[in-house]
Amino acid sequence: MPRKISLWEGFTIAVLTIIACVMLLPYVWMVLSSLKSNMDIVSGSGGFFPSKPSLDGYRTVFSEAPFVTWLLNSLVTSVIITVVTLFTSALAGYVFAKHQFKGKKLLFILILATMMIPFQVIMIPTYLITAELGLVNHLLAIILPNLVSSYGVFLAKQFIEEIPQELLEAARMDGSGEFRLMLRIVMPLILPMLSALGIFTFMNSWNNYLWPLIVLNDESKMTVPLALVYFNGTHQVNYNVVMSAAVLITIPVIIMFLIFQKQFIKGLAMTGMK
Amino acid sequence: MSTAISTNKADKVNPAVKSTAYRAKRRFIIISLVPILLLFGVFAFLPIAWSLGLSAFKYDPLSSNAIFVGAENYIRMFQDSIFLKSLWVTFKFVFIAVLINIVITLLIASAIQRVRIPWLKNGFRTVFFLPTIAPLAGTAIVWNTMFNYNDGLFNMILAKVNMAPIQWLSDPHYALYSVIMMTLWADIGYNIVLFIAGLDSIPDMYYEAATLEGAGRWHVFLHITLPLLRRTLLFVSITTVVSYFQAFPQFQIMTKGGPFNETRVLSLQIYEQAFSSSNMGYASAMATVFLMIILLVTLLQLRWGRTQWEH
Repeated sequence: MPRKISLWEGFTIAVLTIIACVMLLPYVWMVLSSLKSNMDIVSGSGGFFPSKPSLDGYRTVFSEAPFVTWLLNSLVTSVIITVVTLFTSALAGYVFAKHQFKGKKLLFILILATMMIPFQVIMIPTYLITAELGLVNHLLAIILPNLVSSYGVFLAKQFIEEIPQELLEAARMDGSGEFRLMLRIVMPLILPMLSALGIFTFMNSWNNYLWPLIVLNDESKMTVPLALVYFNGTHQVNYNVVMSAAVLITIPVIIMFLIFQKQFIKGLAMTGMK
Repeated sequence: MSTAISTNKADKVNPAVKSTAYRAKRRFIIISLVPILLLFGVFAFLPIAWSLGLSAFKYDPLSSNAIFVGAENYIRMFQDSIFLKSLWVTFKFVFIAVLINIVITLLIASAIQRVRIPWLKNGFRTVFFLPTIAPLAGTAIVWNTMFNYNDGLFNMILAKVNMAPIQWLSDPHYALYSVIMMTLWADIGYNIVLFIAGLDSIPDMYYEAATLEGAGRWHVFLHITLPLLRRTLLFVSITTVVSYFQAFPQFQIMTKGGPFNETRVLSLQIYEQAFSSSNMGYASAMATVFLMIILLVTLLQLRWGRTQWEH
């Protein structure tokens, strides 16, 4: 009996290992291609491995592209969006969970309804509004429409409802104002949910492609995914250059992921967020 | 409910305290909700209404004159062979990609879940999840070079096994499947993690009971695992369908809708009509149809999921 189980398990592990290797193949391809020399590519003899590994690609990325600017653009916009979204979600969630006012239900349903709307449906008017505000080709255009999240409000409300009322009343008796209460008591209590929301908000904003594609067209204003694609267009032939850029933006993301892996996976299971 | 009770208590203590506390709460609600609602208003509610309105106009942002055309955009859509084609391509893409996605993620997840060695289990999960965190746009570029006819990875492999090279992205027979392959690589990790979580939450006693009765592996999977996984399955299939309907970067970067519009999905068509051809009214009408389709498909899935639940 135990032997039979281990045989089956061994077979499962073998199959999974093969599939996992296939999954890793594009990364190997990306790194090896980034190490090809310009000669390798021009001569067209390119095999899987670079014939003489060189850093030509990386050198070109740093000399020809405002690579650091792209990283900073992405970092600044994503950090601001994440911090503000966490705050607005917790705040609105707290109001919807623990306060009473007229029209509360209707407002909440309206906010929830926006979750179902695909971005393609609102992108045209959102662009027109952004243009009206004079923000086209400005990093604020990336930040401003993304400071609130209906899913964030929904999650925060769900989790804040679980907080016992007595806890809040006790703090109120001690003379805490509502804002203080929110920052000192409510937010720490929903920290696991907030960190999951934070990770996914940051990632979505870091990876976002369609909206920056619409509102940014100045090379120095671009965020990483958009810049990478633009760069790809201008370096069609020398794909070692583009692969080097791809490696440079993928590695920090992978390191971040390996550090926060546990929260990532738990957050995904907890919130069902993608 | 409990708020009402506790404010009543405060009431009895001192009415003056109650009214200042009440006013403070009121002020807090207004100060915190107004900016948030303003953002939702300007960047969510207004655009939805605007989009519906815009679909009744012929609007070019460059000349910025809007002509009211009524239902003309909608009528034009159903005589527009490219739109009809993109509708077909979208459904084909979503159907095939979602089906393959759910079958393989379910298989891989149950295989991973069965691995008893913790570090190996985590390792597998990490490897499969890794591609989901990279920007899809970057992944599309890397896959573009892998699909390259002359020196791409896939044709190298074909050459190794003595097969003729393929125009992965420009042969109308293969283009859509190439994009599907890349899409699956890029995001099966999500569903694998969700399925593993779903499988982990099934109590062991069900399996023990089944093994005692001598049920085979396949039998257990069909009659115990699948029914108990229904909630996860419904959730996964709805979110995957909705997200695949909106798939955009891979099409815009890898195929640009070609060859012969074989990969021109609706999300790409709306984008190009609005921002390359400046037909914003027409694009808005398409977006409205797009929204209706997504809502309808989601509703159908929910209803199907619920009837499956009941028996």
